[in-house]
Amino acid sequence: MAQLPRSELEMIAVFGPHLAHAQGQRLEAGVEPDRLVKTHCCFCGQQCGIQLKVKDNTVIGFEPWYDFPFNQGMLCPKGVKRYLQGAHPDRLLTALERDPASSGGFRPIGYDAAIQRVAGEIGRIQAQYGNSAFGILSGASLTTEKTYLMGKFARMCLKTPYIDYNGRLCMVSAGAANKKSFGIDRAANAWDDMLHTDVIWISGANVAECAPITTSYVWRARENGAKIIVVDPRITPIARTCDLYLPIKPGRDIALFNGILHLMIKHDWLDHEFINNHTVGFEAVAEHVADWTPKRTAEVTGIAEKGIQQAAEWWGTAKTSFMTHARGIEHHTHGVQNVLGAISLVLASGRIGRPNCGYATITGQANGQGGREHGQKCDQLPGWRDLANPEHRQHIANIWDMPVEEMPQPGVDAYEIFRKIETGEIKGLLSLCFNPKVSLPDSDYVSAMLDKLEFYTSIDFFLNDSARHADIVLPGSLQEEDEGTVTQAEGRVIKINQAIECPGEARQDWRIIQDIAQALGRSKGFTFDGPRAIFEELRRASKGGVADYSGISYEKIEAQNGVFWPCPSDDHPGTPRLFEPNSWNPVAKGAGPFYFPDGKARFNVAPYTPPAEDVDAEYPLMLTTGRVISHFLSGTQTRRIGPLVDQYAEPRIELHPQLAMRLNIQEGDWVTAQTRRGEITLRAQVVRTIRPDTIFVPYHWAGQKSINRLTIAAQDPISKIPEYKVCAVRLIKASQAPAYASQLEPQQ
Amino acid sequence: MPEAQYEFFIDPSRCIGCQSCVQACSECDTHKGQAMIHLEFVNRHYSTQTAPVVCMHCDSPTCAEVCPADAIKKTPDGVVQTARKPRCIACNNCVLACPFGVPKMNSGAELMMKCDMCYDRTSIGKAPMCASVCPSGALYYGTREQIEAQRPRSMPINQFQFGQQTISTKVHMMVPRTAQPEHIDVLSAMHDHTSGHDIFLMMHDE
Amino acid sequence: MVKRHPVRKAILWGCITTISLAIMIAVGSRELAHFDAALVAYTFATLFATFGITYRYTMWLQRPPTAMYWKRGWQMFFKPQRLLTNMRNLFTRTSSDFAANRFIWKRGKLRWLAHWFIMWGCIVAVAITFPLVFGWLHFASVPGSLDSYRAYLFGFALFDFPVDSIFAFLMFHGLVWSSFAVIFGVMLAMWRRMRDHGAASVQQFVEDILPLILLFAISVTGVMLTASYTWMRGYAFDFIAILHAITVIFTLLYMPFGKFFHIFQRPAQLGATFYKDAGATSEQAHCRRCGEAYSSRMHVEDLISVQKQLGFRYEVAGEVEHYQWICPPCRRAMFVLAQTKQWQGNFGDQMFSSMHEQPAAPRFGNPVISEGPLGHEDQANLHF
Ligand code: HEM
Ligand code: SF4
Ligand code: SF4
Ligand code: SF4
Repeated sequence: MAQLPRSELEMIAVFGPHLAHAQGQRLEAGVEPDRLVKTHCCFCGQQCGIQLKVKDNTVIGFEPWYDFPFNQGMLCPKGVKRYLQGAHPDRLLTALERDPASSGGFRPIGYDAAIQRVAGEIGRIQAQYGNSAFGILSGASLTTEKTYLMGKFARMCLKTPYIDYNGRLCMVSAGAANKKSFGIDRAANAWDDMLHTDVIWISGANVAECAPITTSYVWRARENGAKIIVVDPRITPIARTCDLYLPIKPGRDIALFNGILHLMIKHDWLDHEFINNHTVGFEAVAEHVADWTPKRTAEVTGIAEKGIQQAAEWWGTAKTSFMTHARGIEHHTHGVQNVLGAISLVLASGRIGRPNCGYATITGQANGQGGREHGQKCDQLPGWRDLANPEHRQHIANIWDMPVEEMPQPGVDAYEIFRKIETGEIKGLLSLCFNPKVSLPDSDYVSAMLDKLEFYTSIDFFLNDSARHADIVLPGSLQEEDEGTVTQAEGRVIKINQAIECPGEARQDWRIIQDIAQALGRSKGFTFDGPRAIFEELRRASKGGVADYSGISYEKIEAQNGVFWPCPSDDHPGTPRLFEPNSWNPVAKGAGPFYFPDGKARFNVAPYTPPAEDVDAEYPLMLTTGRVISHFLSGTQTRRIGPLVDQYAEPRIELHPQLAMRLNIQEGDWVTAQTRRGEITLRAQVVRTIRPDTIFVPYHWAGQKSINRLTIAAQDPISKIPEYKVCAVRLIKASQAPAYASQLEPQQ
Repeated sequence: MPEAQYEFFIDPSRCIGCQSCVQACSECDTHKGQAMIHLEFVNRHYSTQTAPVVCMHCDSPTCAEVCPADAIKKTPDGVVQTARKPRCIACNNCVLACPFGVPKMNSGAELMMKCDMCYDRTSIGKAPMCASVCPSGALYYGTREQIEAQRPRSMPINQFQFGQQTISTKVHMMVPRTAQPEHIDVLSAMHDHTSGHDIFLMMHDE
Repeated sequence: MVKRHPVRKAILWGCITTISLAIMIAVGSRELAHFDAALVAYTFATLFATFGITYRYTMWLQRPPTAMYWKRGWQMFFKPQRLLTNMRNLFTRTSSDFAANRFIWKRGKLRWLAHWFIMWGCIVAVAITFPLVFGWLHFASVPGSLDSYRAYLFGFALFDFPVDSIFAFLMFHGLVWSSFAVIFGVMLAMWRRMRDHGAASVQQFVEDILPLILLFAISVTGVMLTASYTWMRGYAFDFIAILHAITVIFTLLYMPFGKFFHIFQRPAQLGATFYKDAGATSEQAHCRRCGEAYSSRMHVEDLISVQKQLGFRYEVAGEVEHYQWICPPCRRAMFVLAQTKQWQGNFGDQMFSSMHEQPAAPRFGNPVISEGPLGHEDQANLHF
């Protein structure tokens, strides 16, 4: 397809984003709900427990769920107002077909006709160009059942290697580093281990805005005497009162970790016994960090030497500690190296696998953890099995009852899928729970590639910004319209309960996928009658794998308020804390607590490299991106919820007053940011809470307000995560307001 | 009644400005659709510090005393209610007189509305909306035993000084146990902008 | 005015109004010539209510804030340069707020519907019954004409009208119509009170439910009276009449104490608006912390004097003088900052302070676009 069927403004007028505010039954104080449904928030990886008030098949509000142990009734604003996403004027109630003659660029068509059309196009493209000419993009906000089904759909039904998911933009650097160091990719601890720890180290995690509930754990630890160290180019709300704040230059985290390890070695703040008995590779790392003197570390990281010394001393001399990080260190071309550096600090201290000692990446997406375990990653099979491993292939082929030779080999990452569209290898695409046009870097390229496809179909409940390019849009389900499991940040498997039925012709996503399989005449393996049946197969498929879910059942989740995987048998209570001494795992088989045959953890040498695009005279500043608390990911949901838009309406460019003065910019002025890929004009927010050499823009908006049109598509060579957190940029004061300011509402 | 021991504690130093409280406040049945809690950036230019302010439910409420219409009433359990609807004449006296800056005027409706500790909830033993959802523990509803066990560094205090006036309140504020202040002198902050880290302090100068 | 004991003053005013009303009744009914002796109980209840309401009103007016508003309300109203505008505003506000209850509409459509019907039902009913009870209004057949009535007010003939005219029908059944209006309104109000969780948590029987029951009882017994003599040949008429009398008399006696007192108190709402109008155009008070204007100087000074009368000691040493000179947003900020200061040294943060640069007023959420709930309200009220 060449371009959008209608102009962006025309499409927005029909399909939104429009705002929903509480009205009618949602605003009346006297409505008795038909029932309260205990479930979880549909947004971030914390997966807060919440009770939805349901009346007449509509979610009309919420009631805190005080007994759910993780959040005990707490919620962030997104969770509070999430009920407004249902019964929304923008909701897709039928399938849509691209039609430039219709005012919004699409016209409704019958569900069955749409499925036939999709199956027909898949069949045609695969027949004409081969199986691998059709690709799939999936998402990590789906239930684990759906992510399992998507992987199976790609490998067994479409037999295409090209499936990947938006967790690629999220936790893959941490996942890869965890695999390299521990042999397993999961937060090593439940958050309870933060409460009585001596030091909490938070690197590149805007905890207060992106994992708000974690704040309560950090503050409770502080009450118990913990010291809090925050490393971030911005003084985020969690950093405001932390004990030690280190204003790092974006992209220099590994230098800091190496510098800290250098000081730990110098002062012998090491746990030799642990290093000797439970790890390998320390000597090489020690040798590598020998050059990372405080002076050099300070020069590279931009952090004052005294800060580095202080952090090393607190970390080095602590009895217990908890290391956490998030996208801030992971969204880099050396994201894996950054995480390896953090893990080295943990291993050198020996503080893991014991009470009050922990390590975790803070997962971003709802099912960021579960969604990366069961086979929708390009190289992975259920149970964290390896698609390239013949044994693993055979195991899954048996479960799926398919010839193992027909199972495709590993494919490529989500961004590479677009490059394959460019080269013509991929001609058709199906996306579910993914809005690449907003969330991928250098996104003008992404839209151009969507237009280059012969056929694109998107499954979603709203017409998201990417789906505007689609040929067929299938009306999918909201989280509250389906059931299934999700694995939250701590590794706790929890259960999403269905509150209401899908409206109109909208269908649960797993039904849509199965309907396509059936229309293709390849329904074998796609005849599940519900998520429970899918989960039962997933349990069997994961059995014996690293991510072993075989002992988890819906009933057990309910009875225990969640079950931590691995849970290898029916009588196993689950594993909140990994790597406990003498713990058993299927890889070490008793040799030690870590998931390698010798049971030992690995130190990895993590060399420092500057960001892919460093500053220069032309582009002298660093651009970093991130989230704000009232929005989520590409904003498809939150930009439609009025009170959340009220809270943070439009993206702004955050910059330091020193920089602002140099450029003659005042608070609220229109400012243009330019990179080698594009430019954006937004209002300035002049604050002293950011490094003067760095600007920050949140990424939840689309079109003219989308910062990802400027970010760089450079990727980590191992994890393939894009470098969202730093690229070179220049700023100029805009002479006038951009055209969109008078044409679009803030959320559009 | 066990509910009677539940109390409201605030610790603004924990606040992360997430506005969960603001969003949840408007979900409470006594003022559905309108948030009563205040949440402001103290001075965003310098720092992200935010000020969450709920009604402190004064033992002798200035707001009620200065109300010409006698519209503000305290329930026997010490909760100071929103203006009685038939009485409030929207004069703004309470808005201007409350030492904590709590009451809000809804001029279209000619009615003062204020935080009533989610009376529909607290009167039947449920926690208020804001304190239920607050992810930072800045707003907390629980027993004294709970707060003492969970916050070994803090202690609750309910005496506030405004010039020569001392106000004691039902709601408590958390202060360091080591300091043991008798009261909080609100005017001591007359010349303070806000608090936070100074980014230059820990930056390596090139 | 000479300082007097407030209770004595209230009793005095109570006596004055009660006696005045008694005299008016005597005179208006031409020395009780047109007074219906059967209604004497009603009359005494009304006289008691008059005393009670005046007593309470006088007591109320003597509270320092009320006294201040009472004084200032009139002052502002009669200010020569404002009088014309004030008169115009008086008219528009009386019609929109009092006759149409526009502000209750803003509180909720259901509340408005209920109130509007209750209010107009009661007003019409009172307008019909009280003059009749007091003998101020009566009807007599026109001498020489069998099918016409003549209306008399204070004993003076007003006009004649045919017995079977629509006017006569409406007139003689006015009480029935008003009862229906009241019943409808009361039922809506009750319905709301039974459903609304918020209302349920704060309402009290005597304060909130009893008045509705009373109005309901009056209206229903009234309608039953009509039904009794119209269709049931006076079945149980006397019993119903006594029942009706009891409900009305009880309501009259309840008037000074409960919710119905607001009927007399509400006009103060007008005074408040004139005061606000005058304040908005007069000199502003600037916050002594952030320097922003937040109210009229007059209002702040009046409040200072009211607070002093009430025994509050918000005086502050130094240039602030009185805490009232700090705007509410700065109070919130200082309240929080005073706690922050207590924690100094415990965590890594430091205070940003300056004796020279005035601290900025705190701001809600997104300063560019949104202000959050009630943001505009605060702006309108505090003149930000
Ligand atoms: C004969 C005249 C009136 C009668 C019998 C009357 C009766 C009532 C009653 C019974 C209620 C309580 C409703 C409930 O239970 O929810 C009420 C509320 C109220 N009345 Fe009146 N009223 C009268 C005149 C007025 C006037 C003239 C005003 C002012 C302009 C007024 C202002 C109010 C207000 C503000 C409320 C509270 C409404 C709300 O927000 O819920 N009333 N009235
Ligand atoms: S977005 Fe995350 S923190 Fe917020 S309520 Fe949902 S799960 Fe909890
Ligand atoms: S804090 Fe303010 S509104 Fe609350 S009771 Fe005290 S004076 Fe009244
Ligand atoms: S919910 Fe708590 S942390 Fe969030 S803004 Fe309110 S008081 Fe602050």
